[in-house]
Amino acid sequence: MFDFQKQLAKNPIIKFLSSVKIAVVCLGLLFILTLWGTLFQVDHGLYLAQEKFFNSLVFTFLGFVPFPGARLVMGVLFINLVCMCLIRLVYRWSNAGIVIIHIGLLTFLISGFVTFYTVNESNLSLIEGAGSNVSSLYHDWEISVWREGQEKRDVYAFNVNEYSQGKDLDFSSLGISVFLKNYYSNSNAYTTADEKAEAVINNVGIKTLRLRSFDKAPEKNLPGLIAEVTLKEESKNIILYGGESDPTKIDFNGEGYFFQLRREKEQLPFVIKLKDFMMEVHPNTQIARSYKSLVEVITPGASREVLISMNKPLRAKNYTLYQASYAVDQMGREISTLAVVRNSGRILPYVASSITCFGLAWHFLVMAFRRKKRRK
Amino acid sequence: MLKKVFLTIGILTIFTKLVFAQSFCALEESKFDPKRVESLKAFRNLPILDQGRIKPLDTYAAHILLQFSGRRTLNKKNAVYWLADLIFAPASTQKDKIFLINNPDIPEALGIDVQEKRRYSFAQLNPSLNKLLELAQSADQIEEKERDVVEQEILRVYRNIELYIQFTYVTTFAFPHPDFMITDKEIIKELNLPEDQKGYSFVDIIQKADILQSKLNGLDKSKIDAWGDKERLYFTLTNNLFSWVASNRGFPLNIIASIDTDDEAWLSPWDIIGQEFYDERIQNEILFIRNMTVYYWNGKQLEFNIAAKALRSSLKERASVKEEKNLGKFGQELFYNKVKLFGWSKLLYGLVFLLYLLSLFFNPRWLRILSFSLIGVGIFLHSFGLILRMSILSRPPVSNLYETFIFVGFIGVICGIIIECINKRWVGIVVSSVSGLAMLMIAGKYSAEGDTLGMLVAVLNSNFWLSTHVISITIGYAGCCVAGVIGHLYVLQNIFKPKDKELLKSTHQFIIGTLGFGLTMTFLGTVLGGIWADQSWGRFWGWDPKENGALLIVLWSAIVFHAKIAKWIKPLGFAVGSILGVIVVMWAWFGVNLLGVGLHSYGFTSGIAMSLLFYVIFEILFIAILAPIAKKRLKTK
Repeated sequence: MFDFQKQLAKNPIIKFLSSVKIAVVCLGLLFILTLWGTLFQVDHGLYLAQEKFFNSLVFTFLGFVPFPGARLVMGVLFINLVCMCLIRLVYRWSNAGIVIIHIGLLTFLISGFVTFYTVNESNLSLIEGAGSNVSSLYHDWEISVWREGQEKRDVYAFNVNEYSQGKDLDFSSLGISVFLKNYYSNSNAYTTADEKAEAVINNVGIKTLRLRSFDKAPEKNLPGLIAEVTLKEESKNIILYGGESDPTKIDFNGEGYFFQLRREKEQLPFVIKLKDFMMEVHPNTQIARSYKSLVEVITPGASREVLISMNKPLRAKNYTLYQASYAVDQMGREISTLAVVRNSGRILPYVASSITCFGLAWHFLVMAFRRKKRRK
Repeated sequence: MLKKVFLTIGILTIFTKLVFAQSFCALEESKFDPKRVESLKAFRNLPILDQGRIKPLDTYAAHILLQFSGRRTLNKKNAVYWLADLIFAPASTQKDKIFLINNPDIPEALGIDVQEKRRYSFAQLNPSLNKLLELAQSADQIEEKERDVVEQEILRVYRNIELYIQFTYVTTFAFPHPDFMITDKEIIKELNLPEDQKGYSFVDIIQKADILQSKLNGLDKSKIDAWGDKERLYFTLTNNLFSWVASNRGFPLNIIASIDTDDEAWLSPWDIIGQEFYDERIQNEILFIRNMTVYYWNGKQLEFNIAAKALRSSLKERASVKEEKNLGKFGQELFYNKVKLFGWSKLLYGLVFLLYLLSLFFNPRWLRILSFSLIGVGIFLHSFGLILRMSILSRPPVSNLYETFIFVGFIGVICGIIIECINKRWVGIVVSSVSGLAMLMIAGKYSAEGDTLGMLVAVLNSNFWLSTHVISITIGYAGCCVAGVIGHLYVLQNIFKPKDKELLKSTHQFIIGTLGFGLTMTFLGTVLGGIWADQSWGRFWGWDPKENGALLIVLWSAIVFHAKIAKWIKPLGFAVGSILGVIVVMWAWFGVNLLGVGLHSYGFTSGIAMSLLFYVIFEILFIAILAPIAKKRLKTK
């Protein structure tokens, strides 16, 4: 044991935090959470299970009983591991495998945290021949506003998830403010109005929104909102619904503004153009053998063709684009959907995996060698 | 060279006169029986495209019979004999009890006597087909998820009968039929048909389509009333040809490859007649099938073999490189089907376990050597089976749920052999026999669900990841299962041999070693799976049920190891932990698939839930009853 380890071991807090018993409890809690979260998916889907069990610090069950979420447990496990590495691990060659394994596990936890805070997942659906540099997020929605009649459209948008109802969204560049009266995370829209309802503006005549329970597949949730839009002391009520394809227009003294509730957009640093989508099935069956999208990646001053297929995504400028799904529209045109992932910590799991696997291999070799020697 | 010889002889035989020795009809009651050929060696070697793979008819026959009856043989005869009857002489299969109806409510609803063996013949079901259709239509109206067991069973039975009936039409083109009856000798001569034939078949007439066409030229300019008897007959024959082609579509048995080289599809004889009969090679292949039908009825073995081999040669000659490669592996597949290597391995492992039980009372040295040798033979056959499957499918050893059972059993037996080489006290032999036997028994049960040599969905079509991630994970499963088996043994040793300290210590060491091995391999497999997911879906981890299952094994093994370091458990507790670890493995392995959610739910199997529940109850009882006894014995030793 090194001197610094002996010094640190005298600190009762560090000594307590480095306890193997804490590690066992944390592992046990993670075991319960993983099992529980898996079973929860059957009725509630993956997204809600992730939010409740794996991304949370604490959650409650049976209405009031608290239980630590995986994020909290992993945080404690991280501290436990750091303390253990500091004062309990024996740093000598024969124990190097164990040390490396634990350093690898620490890297895993770090990569988990980095990924949690930096990952951004969206998707890009393209008809053959079309191109775009904007992808849509799966779960986040935004209110976007732009002025009518501009040659070059400037769109201003707010992520609605960051603003609870009763808040003001200040589109000061356009001179308007939007007060969120009601926000429904998942809703049904109706063209009939309640008797006491205020007059509202909507593109397709929606007059009422009603809250609906969350869908198992979160991408099926369609939010809606009622807001008061104010420009120079003139206010108007507006209803926006996630299921609408066209924006709603409001006139203020002859000047038109378009409002739309849409999936949050991610601006990509390149344009993706779908040249061809190919799907192969095993002969005489409906079992898919491969999906492929031939795309052109266009950056300022350059372009290249890339074939995206299952297990072979396109990697460009910190983005990964992979084949997610496909569809055929009513006109028989093929639509390819590419999932777009931006993850600053992408490399970390690879580093962690390499360290841990190296440690495991080392440890196993040392153990096997030691046993052989002992037998001799 | 031989291929061309058969093809040439086959083509020559096409032009020889062929007459059925007996008259017959498709599925109607026939008082005649075909003479049949004795050997179907050439027939079972014919290729067919089924479920995306070109396979021998031998495999296909077993698969279809399994689908109908839940068995691979009929009256102790290979399924291919039944399939030959069904294709060439369908009426003779009417009394074969091949339709498995699991639920007794269905025969009762159909007004049929319930059979003890739950299998019914077409002749028994035929009078109630309308009622069955009615029930199937009602069941079909219900959403798939809402259907109860009886409704599902009705639909399954109905679809099987529908398929059976379709099979009976597969070779109708070869049978003489009243639609093609010609009595006028002059017309027979004009059409260049054999004069002394009693009747003509569709295929006899369609070969004369060009002559018929020339005879009909200009007929449209005159009124029907003005047509003579000859013209009327020519028109009727042509009309019947068209209506037969139009109505005989979508039948099973895709045994003829399309001539379109861009199209990988294979078609049934009727479909190919409808689409590509203009090609001479296709005409020949259809005529080979016609010949096989006739010679099957007439019991002419040599001629039947020549026709079958000529068909195979013709198909092989125009096969793509990939198809030809598949055809070249038929010998291996036929051998694999015939020898049943895993069945023999299972038998040997079972026998060794019985020898172990015998050794508890009578334990000479030769008994251990004999057992070890039998394990050696078992693993040789087991490995051979695995290698054959890999060669046939050109892919890594583990790619579907069935193969995981085979492979985990294989690794378990290997682990046992290594342990026995070190320990030499039956521990390894028990591990090998129990792991091999249990896994091959589960595999045998699972194989009853269908073809185990199926194709893979797009995301699994990656040999590199399949051979790294899946193999690592399954080796991890095997390691943890072996630790569990030794865990059982440790608990029993504590009860029956508490004073044999050395034995207990060595067994405990083996649990640590195998569980550590299982943990390492599962961890490695999980990490490789993460990398695969990152490569395919752009994310390393997504909390998918199957990923969670692998994580549960890693977590459980880590808990057991760290609980030992924390001195919360002793060797007996460690053994109990390893036994419980097997339950975690079972959950991760196929329990997760029962949930039917997530990206990995491709291996869904419904019948396994109850077995899993019984297994968990057994383990809990084992631990609850024997672990306290073992603890007490340890204290009192």
